[in-house]
Amino acid sequence: MTDRRREILEWAEQGRLAPEDVRRALKLAGVLPSGGDWRLFLDRMLLWMGSVMSAAGVIFFLAYNWNEIGHFTKFGMVEAVFVATLFLVWKLGLERPAGKAALLGGAVLVGAIFALIGQTYQTGADSFELFATWAVLIVPWMLVGRFAALCVFWLLLVNLAVTLYTTVFHGLTGVVFGPERLLWQLLWLNTAALAIWEILAAYGVAWLRERWAARLIITAGGALCTALAVSDLCLRRGSSGWGFPVWLAWLAAVYVVYRFRIKDLYALAGGVLSVIVTVTCFLGKHMLRDHQAGSFLFIGLVVIALSAAGGWWLKRVAAEEKR
Amino acid sequence: MNGAERQELWERLEAAALVHGELPPAVASPTPWFVRVMLGIAGWIGALFLLAFIGIGFHSLIESWPGAIITGTLLCAGAAMLFRSGLRADFASQFALALSFAGQALICFGISELLRWDFFAVCLAMTAVETFLFFAAPNFLHRVWSAWAGSFALALAFWDLKLSTFAPGIVTAAFAFLWFSEFRHPRRGALLRAGGYGLAASIIATVIMLSGRSEGVLWWSRAVPAPGNDLLAWLGLVLSGTVLIGVSIRLLFWENVPLGSRPGKAVLAGAGILAAASLKAPGLGPCVAILVVGHAAGNRRLAGLGVVALLGYLSHYYYVLDATLLQKAEVLAGAGLSLLIARLVLLKCLPAPESAEEASHA
Repeated sequence: MTDRRREILEWAEQGRLAPEDVRRALKLAGVLPSGGDWRLFLDRMLLWMGSVMSAAGVIFFLAYNWNEIGHFTKFGMVEAVFVATLFLVWKLGLERPAGKAALLGGAVLVGAIFALIGQTYQTGADSFELFATWAVLIVPWMLVGRFAALCVFWLLLVNLAVTLYTTVFHGLTGVVFGPERLLWQLLWLNTAALAIWEILAAYGVAWLRERWAARLIITAGGALCTALAVSDLCLRRGSSGWGFPVWLAWLAAVYVVYRFRIKDLYALAGGVLSVIVTVTCFLGKHMLRDHQAGSFLFIGLVVIALSAAGGWWLKRVAAEEKR
Repeated sequence: MNGAERQELWERLEAAALVHGELPPAVASPTPWFVRVMLGIAGWIGALFLLAFIGIGFHSLIESWPGAIITGTLLCAGAAMLFRSGLRADFASQFALALSFAGQALICFGISELLRWDFFAVCLAMTAVETFLFFAAPNFLHRVWSAWAGSFALALAFWDLKLSTFAPGIVTAAFAFLWFSEFRHPRRGALLRAGGYGLAASIIATVIMLSGRSEGVLWWSRAVPAPGNDLLAWLGLVLSGTVLIGVSIRLLFWENVPLGSRPGKAVLAGAGILAAASLKAPGLGPCVAILVVGHAAGNRRLAGLGVVALLGYLSHYYYVLDATLLQKAEVLAGAGLSLLIARLVLLKCLPAPESAEEASHA
């Protein structure tokens, strides 16, 4: 659709299509929404906005520090909404978008109930336990729902649980390596998630083929890996020394997988940016000690050259993939 | 789109008597959006180093405001000339981008010194500078940046006048105007699209940083403005919702749907609910406008940006200090339930055609 849109607007720009005919041409090409498309769009928009805003409303309601309402009333209210979402899931089924939206709402409310328990009874549990239990409990929902957004939400919960756990329990290695340990844990977690996601998608799990979700995980993994490489290169003291080699391996893997197997230019563009950032940090560490103007100019020009070369290469790959 | 698909599309338009003659030769594919984002980020990193180079190497030159403004202007002029030279080399474009970013930073510093750091005056001056650069530097990425920077500077000027609640509505109106003009002025399409994307980014920045009535998120300002005149603040909030209703009416005209018809009433009812919710959550209307305009223009990237804007705004809304969590819960739950009811009414009044029903179940 994007290509047809661009092509028609290009013809209009060249004067081959009159401005007053552009909309008609776009309609004919199926670029602009028809009556049915508009109905579907409004249906989906009202459904998702309504669900997300209602769920957010319940969470905001619970987060408010209530004194006037008794414990049982609070629990009753949340559980009533929770049961209502489950009823909707049962009634609508998991194949329909409305059913999936209700399932996601229910998954969010599981956490809300746990938060309410913690707030009411002051159980002494750590925050990571809330997120970990929440994530464990919605695993079956995720498997049954077969729904990319719920999977991403689950992964976010696991990331939060790991982050909070590592922040609370540094342990002996935590004292030595500090925040690097957390970066490693999150990197392994997200890399494993990405690998499982892509393998299952390649083996025909249709609902995992949504690229936005995989790209989100690629972005997280790439950012973590780059942070580790930069920390390895620039903050030698206290670093495990593995950041840079693992970053190289990550880049190589991204190149092979997304250049030849899955063909996702987004991942390659992320890789180019990661190279630019890492090289810049490396040069900065070694050249800017004396604050020489020439060093800044040199690094600036290197950044520009690298990004230009990266852009040129990415455009070539894009053109190759189009053919 | 391969050659056969282009030919097929051309023939379809030819059959409808919309085009004539031979199929024009294919032009180079545009750069994907994420590559442009990558180039923009790299451009800024390069610009920071160039700026440091100028700051250290020529510090005596840029210490005074005339030196900073003249150097910045020369850098921007050099960048504009490089863009206008027609050099297609990627290095030249990236170099020009970094040069211009560094120049803009110097101009901003020089103007601030000249105007004795008068926040309002600096914002207005930077709006003028960015507007000029938007037209002078013919590069898509640069124009997106200039549109964003210029409109956000204007929004900051409103904020300084304690009229921040007007900013989202005004930026959204300009955004909608540009996208509605895209098909009417195809020869200026590249310019309008760059401006449209820049303003979309500006809407997101504005609703997150400036839409509240009592927020002071700008650490460099002299002081956090008080809520200001209550009536004016409310009028600004009304404007956000009104713009969304205006966009909806414009779309109904665009699609030849009478306002009094069932679909017309359904659309206006949905827009009305969101406009009402925008009085308490002022980012809702502008973010939905991005989504709706993107869908109407057949632009998936823009619609996707609208979804991201909505999610970003809702996450930010939790921390807004304008209202208590209870009030926010009432607004969100009330609007959410109203939208779900509106959906039920929509499904009841406008039963889906067979194919759409199947698609929705797929």
